[in-house]
Amino acid sequence: MTTTDTTTVETPSAPRVTEEELARRARRSELTSRWFWRILSYIAVLAIWEFALLDIFSFLRGSPLDPKLLPGPSEVVSTFFEIWGEGTMPAAFQATLTRIAVGFGLSFLIGAMIGILMQSKWFEGFFKDAVLISLSAPGLIWVLITAIIFGNRPLGPTIAIILTTFALVTVNVSEGIKALPKDLLDMAKSFRVSVFKRNRQIVIPHLAPYLFTGLRFGFSIAWKVTVLTEVFSSSEGIGFEMRISAVLFDMSEFLTWILAFFFFALFLEKVVLEAIERRYFRWRQAVTAT
Amino acid sequence: MTVTETRPTAAGGSPPPNPAQRLTALPAKIAKSPLLARVLFPVFLFLVWELSLIAVEEIWPFAVDVLPTPSEVGAFMWDEFITDTLARKNLYETFFISLRRLMSGFAIAMVLGTAMGLAMGLSRATNAFCHDWTMAILAMPALAWALFNSIIFGFDDRGPILTVILAGIPFVIVNVREGVRNTPRELFDMARSFQVPQSKVIRHVLVPSLMPFMFAAARYCFSIGWKGLVIAEVFGGQDGAGWTIKFWYDAHRAHGVVGYAAFFVIFAILFERLVFEPISRRAFRWRPQLQTEVVEEAFGEHHEHYGEEETARR
Repeated sequence: MTTTDTTTVETPSAPRVTEEELARRARRSELTSRWFWRILSYIAVLAIWEFALLDIFSFLRGSPLDPKLLPGPSEVVSTFFEIWGEGTMPAAFQATLTRIAVGFGLSFLIGAMIGILMQSKWFEGFFKDAVLISLSAPGLIWVLITAIIFGNRPLGPTIAIILTTFALVTVNVSEGIKALPKDLLDMAKSFRVSVFKRNRQIVIPHLAPYLFTGLRFGFSIAWKVTVLTEVFSSSEGIGFEMRISAVLFDMSEFLTWILAFFFFALFLEKVVLEAIERRYFRWRQAVTAT
Repeated sequence: MTVTETRPTAAGGSPPPNPAQRLTALPAKIAKSPLLARVLFPVFLFLVWELSLIAVEEIWPFAVDVLPTPSEVGAFMWDEFITDTLARKNLYETFFISLRRLMSGFAIAMVLGTAMGLAMGLSRATNAFCHDWTMAILAMPALAWALFNSIIFGFDDRGPILTVILAGIPFVIVNVREGVRNTPRELFDMARSFQVPQSKVIRHVLVPSLMPFMFAAARYCFSIGWKGLVIAEVFGGQDGAGWTIKFWYDAHRAHGVVGYAAFFVIFAILFERLVFEPISRRAFRWRPQLQTEVVEEAFGEHHEHYGEEETARR
């Protein structure tokens, strides 16, 4: 959990037991208050969404909205079960996830390779603009370009995903390279360890956490771009379903599709990837903590 | 560190080259220079483009007339540049409309986000209340906001502006909150023990230490807002940059799409170079170390912004 430095115990003269007791009590009350506010926020947001959001939007819009346009959370949940019952959801998820896996897998490899190549000044100059463009340009342009060139072929989305996400991996890798233990590399060089071996034994282990960060951030962008490509150039997947329901003005279906995938992606991003990271890099965190 | 130590010895160790040697070494030096590599990159892109056009014509069953050639794209961009366009509004009007929307959304997001970030940084309860929802909004794709707002607001300014706000505000909140948390605690304590009024503390302690974070926030908010805006304009706009690229897409003019995409890239880079870099240089002149940090942060996009601070805080 987010441990903030709550235990500012300022009783050095008091006996030891009470000190610990005080600290524990402070932590407990902090925890309860945090959870109280957290749960309250969930209740408040869901209540506003269910009962008052329509009025807020009507106010922003300057004219009343059709209540059908903004279904509350209860309706979204019931629509979710409806769609789930139809059995179209797993197929759409599968299509989107396959696309993400292929596109982002390739993108990760390419991005990491470019990041490693950028060790040399020459290649850094060569790829500098590519990275800058990929980071600063909206993903939409790659989506539209690949859609108009490749049509519905699966190659289009793959290229769009690569172009939007490779730079994140590259940046993380080259950041990792900047933080490489220079002395170790220098020593390896002076003992004439081959480039290959140097990379494998020093660079890669050191880079692993950076690669992982790149993976996490890259994934968070990749799934968004994938959904966007599906809106334009696909006949299956989450983006396609979103597009259809938006065109039909079926807001409850629209919200269901996007929220379902949103929660799924968030789960992958926050729970699965973070758990893996924590597990494999525990040794590293222990090192940085000291 | 080690590099700066080794460099002078390396330079001092080699004998000074005589002019003739230097002349022969010149081509090799040019070939090795990163600047040449940087210039070579567009050339390389151009070659790949031309070669893939040839390859596609030979091998793949594409309708070749769909594929844009570099000369077509260049001609298109030139026409747009001299405002000779088939679209309803010329390049400058289009980008001006988008920029106006971006700026209004950006301003609102910065103000609201700063207020919320301050509140969340200063009060634990507010932080607990808003944290999860900030993260949820942060992770939501701009596409969802764009489609949603286009359905709610129809085709006017409010949908795109709201999209910019929703896409950008979590970055502002997270950055400002981190800034508040990173303010020097001992300065606050000292201010409190000398009974400095709260308003003065905010102006002289909080704001200066917040500046780099605010700046990073502005940068993220701007770039993410821009990405969200073009998507919003595609779905819920009647003009603006996003709408115009969609116009060329719908007209099935690949050279139009590619040309407009190039304008997008140019726009983003120009803004970065002409607006953010000078401001950062000015604002952080007194703090040379920090400037480099912030510039790097722009590259490490989303770096410490996806709940990363939680692991860092542990």
